[in-house]
Amino acid sequence: MPKNPSNLKNIDRVIHEPTRLMIMTQLYVVESADFLFLQHQLQMTPGNLSAHLTKLEKAGYVEIVKEFIERKPHTALKLTKKGRSAFKEYQQNLKQVFSDLSQ
Amino acid sequence: MTKKTSLREIEKKTYMSYHQDGLLDIFVGVYILLFGFGILLMTMTDFSMWFVIPAIFPAIMIPIWISVKKRITMPRIGFVKFGVRGANKMMAIFLGLAVAGLGTFMVFGLGASMGESWALTLRDFLISNSMIIIGIAAVTISSLFAYTMGLKRLYGYGLLTLVLFFTGYFIAIPFEYFLVTIGLVIIISGFVLLMRFIRKYPLPQGDKINAQESV
Repeated sequence: MPKNPSNLKNIDRVIHEPTRLMIMTQLYVVESADFLFLQHQLQMTPGNLSAHLTKLEKAGYVEIVKEFIERKPHTALKLTKKGRSAFKEYQQNLKQVFSDLSQ
Repeated sequence: MTKKTSLREIEKKTYMSYHQDGLLDIFVGVYILLFGFGILLMTMTDFSMWFVIPAIFPAIMIPIWISVKKRITMPRIGFVKFGVRGANKMMAIFLGLAVAGLGTFMVFGLGASMGESWALTLRDFLISNSMIIIGIAAVTISSLFAYTMGLKRLYGYGLLTLVLFFTGYFIAIPFEYFLVTIGLVIIISGFVLLMRFIRKYPLPQGDKINAQESV
């Protein structure tokens, strides 16, 4: 058991879900990406990706920007400030949980 | 044993995905090829147009590259904008190379113009071994970009340049022929990658586009 089990409670459950963690990680290393790029990178179906993006958007972690590029609709996705800091915090909390685990 | 996956690795993988279309290779290859032809023309016609090529090429080709990228790559794998972190690293490499090149040029240029014997000896050494020096410079620069961008094929191009220039040092074949050869090899490699990319990622059909817009 971890020395301090309360650290586990600090783990952000919105990010902790594996698919959403992949999305957050991918968006963390870029400034923005569109739906198609994420779909290819993460090898997800449009429905699955769409559902998880909606959850992340509701949590305020992902911003969905709809725009027109050369008269064609385009959806850009980016992490919000809140999303970036939540991801960093998640990383630190997870590290803490593992460092607290006794061998 | 598990492989450690870092954010840096994911960033590199993203770079790799975005440049798997071979367009970068084609444009760099054309640039090197034009350089080679420029020098070849200069030796044949006494017209020093090769000095103009490096200056005008990026101004003409970068907008074309962006336009081709928009037409071929983006409809197939989408669009990604890389953050300032990656851009800063690239800029640091460019600036580092520019400062190193300018510094070397100034030190030796000034030394040689003042008649310093060490500078003259060094200048003669650099000129007589230019093929090897350019080969080493090429492999160093391409390795720096390969490491930063995660594009492993750049190591190959650098190594090819090194091998060709080393060979050129020992057999008396003019420098420009090697440039043309390297340019052609990179262009061919770029087209192979482009064909593979187009086959691997056909244009998405209506459903995918609709899904994208429904987010």
